[in-house]
Amino acid sequence: MTLHADLDAVLRKHLKYVDGEALDPDRPLRDLGLDSMRAIDLLFALEDTFHVVIPDELLTDHTFATGRSLQVTVDRLRRQATQPTDG
Amino acid sequence: MIAERYRDAVATVTAVAEVHAAGNDRHAVFPKEALHELRETKLLGLLVPAEYGGPGGELDDLVDITIELGRHDLSVAMIFAMHCQQVRTLACCAGPRLRAQVLPAVAEGELYLASVTTEPSTGAQLLVSGSTTSLVAGQVVVDRMAPIVTGGSHADAFLITVRSPDGSPNQVDLVYATADQLTAEVTGTWDALGMRATESVPMHLAGAVPATQIVSSHQDYRSIVATVFAPVAHLGWAAAWLGTALGAYSRVIGHIRGPAGRRGFDPGSDLLKTRLATCRANLDVTHALLRHTARAIATDSDIARTGVQLLVNTLKTESAVRCFEVVHELVELAGLRHGYLPDSPLRLERSFRDLRSASLNFGNDRLRLVNGSLALMDTRSDLV
Ligand SMILES: Cc1cc2nc3c(=O)[nH]c(=O)nc-3n(C[C@H](O)[C@H](O)[C@H](O)COP(=O)(O)OP(=O)(O)OC[C@H]3O[C@@H](n4cnc5c(N)ncnc54)[C@H](O)[C@@H]3O)c2cc1C
Repeated sequence: MTLHADLDAVLRKHLKYVDGEALDPDRPLRDLGLDSMRAIDLLFALEDTFHVVIPDELLTDHTFATGRSLQVTVDRLRRQATQPTDG
Repeated sequence: MIAERYRDAVATVTAVAEVHAAGNDRHAVFPKEALHELRETKLLGLLVPAEYGGPGGELDDLVDITIELGRHDLSVAMIFAMHCQQVRTLACCAGPRLRAQVLPAVAEGELYLASVTTEPSTGAQLLVSGSTTSLVAGQVVVDRMAPIVTGGSHADAFLITVRSPDGSPNQVDLVYATADQLTAEVTGTWDALGMRATESVPMHLAGAVPATQIVSSHQDYRSIVATVFAPVAHLGWAAAWLGTALGAYSRVIGHIRGPAGRRGFDPGSDLLKTRLATCRANLDVTHALLRHTARAIATDSDIARTGVQLLVNTLKTESAVRCFEVVHELVELAGLRHGYLPDSPLRLERSFRDLRSASLNFGNDRLRLVNGSLALMDTRSDLV
């Protein structure tokens, strides 16, 4: 699996220690320089780019662990956003 | 209140600290007399669990004792609190082998531990390290500048943050090293405005220690910082600062009530009363926050959660600001003779200089920035 190009691009801006290569989806983002202060900026960037709202209960270390975990979360939220709701 | 079993020991230490405080401050030298008593009374082993020969003291004991030490000498209180922070971290997070190697000696008063977290390149940040290490034949090779180490040239051992062997700057380890495993070179002097008796010298630490001395190989470093290292530091610092502000405040009250004070002050003055009330309010608010945070740390099932982390950081920033405000106000109240001159028995001048360090000792701005980010992650804003 590789990350969506737009996710790779957003992530890259918030990680201090990445090189030119495509991001390894399973590399811990912490190791690449994500800290709590950068995480909040990343959160806003993700929400703006993908037009989703990441709810509080998903603002966990688990969600922000790797590129893959973020991609799964964002994909799911986008699917939910486009699904018709009752009423 | 200090538990009965520690009371005599604390009284012994404070009596000695009191005698040497002014001289140590003047000459910016370490309170070795007080450290000697901390060793002899075994208070250095306060937080060592009973299974390793210690009294198994709790965080409340640390807070009570540090406040009392702070009343007499902030440098001594800080030295004690920071040592206890290292001990607690080892007791909680080190592997069984390292615990068995270190804790019994701490309980006997044989080991005084210093803390090395600050780095020239990354400042006070705990979660980043620029000090690279390598692993050679089961040994961690450490070679690190340490710009400010409280009691560094008097310590028997150090807990040191370093970059994990071959890791990125965000991969940090906490390593235990004894003074005789390292070449610990003092590279400068400590001639500071206050906290002069902490003798917080710059050092260069180099050497190799067995990989079994990596504390964080047994528990994730970030979780150690969030659940033990930072909370216990903030509790200890806040207690030390509160003790010093409290000591200054009570000396001023005693002075106003005494015969000399009656001549110099008008206890009927409205200004004097409102100033004292403001000081007392700052002391009570700090104390309440300190006790509340201590309880949260002792009882919350998840100290790493956002609400508790916010509280732990707020304790640091608020106690730093308020305790300094107390002595600032007391200087204004007491005036030049007792507020500004170093030979006054009220010792406001020294307390003022010492407490000025509080907001800088892990920069308040830095912590507020962290707390601002955490706040944005907490939409419901449930208070702890
Ligand atoms: C008495 C005393 C004893 C100490 N003992 C020890 C010890 O034993 N071991 C040890 O390792 N360290 C020790 N320290 C160092 C301490 O832990 C801090 O690292 C140090 O005080 C921070 O120094 P700094 O202000 O230069 O660094 P920084 O934290 O880099 O701050 C510099 C300035 O920039 C601001 N700033 C920095 N980063 C940010 C940011 N992200 N956002 C906004 N503002 C920011 C700060 O508020 C400050 O004004 C001690 C400090 C004192 C005062």
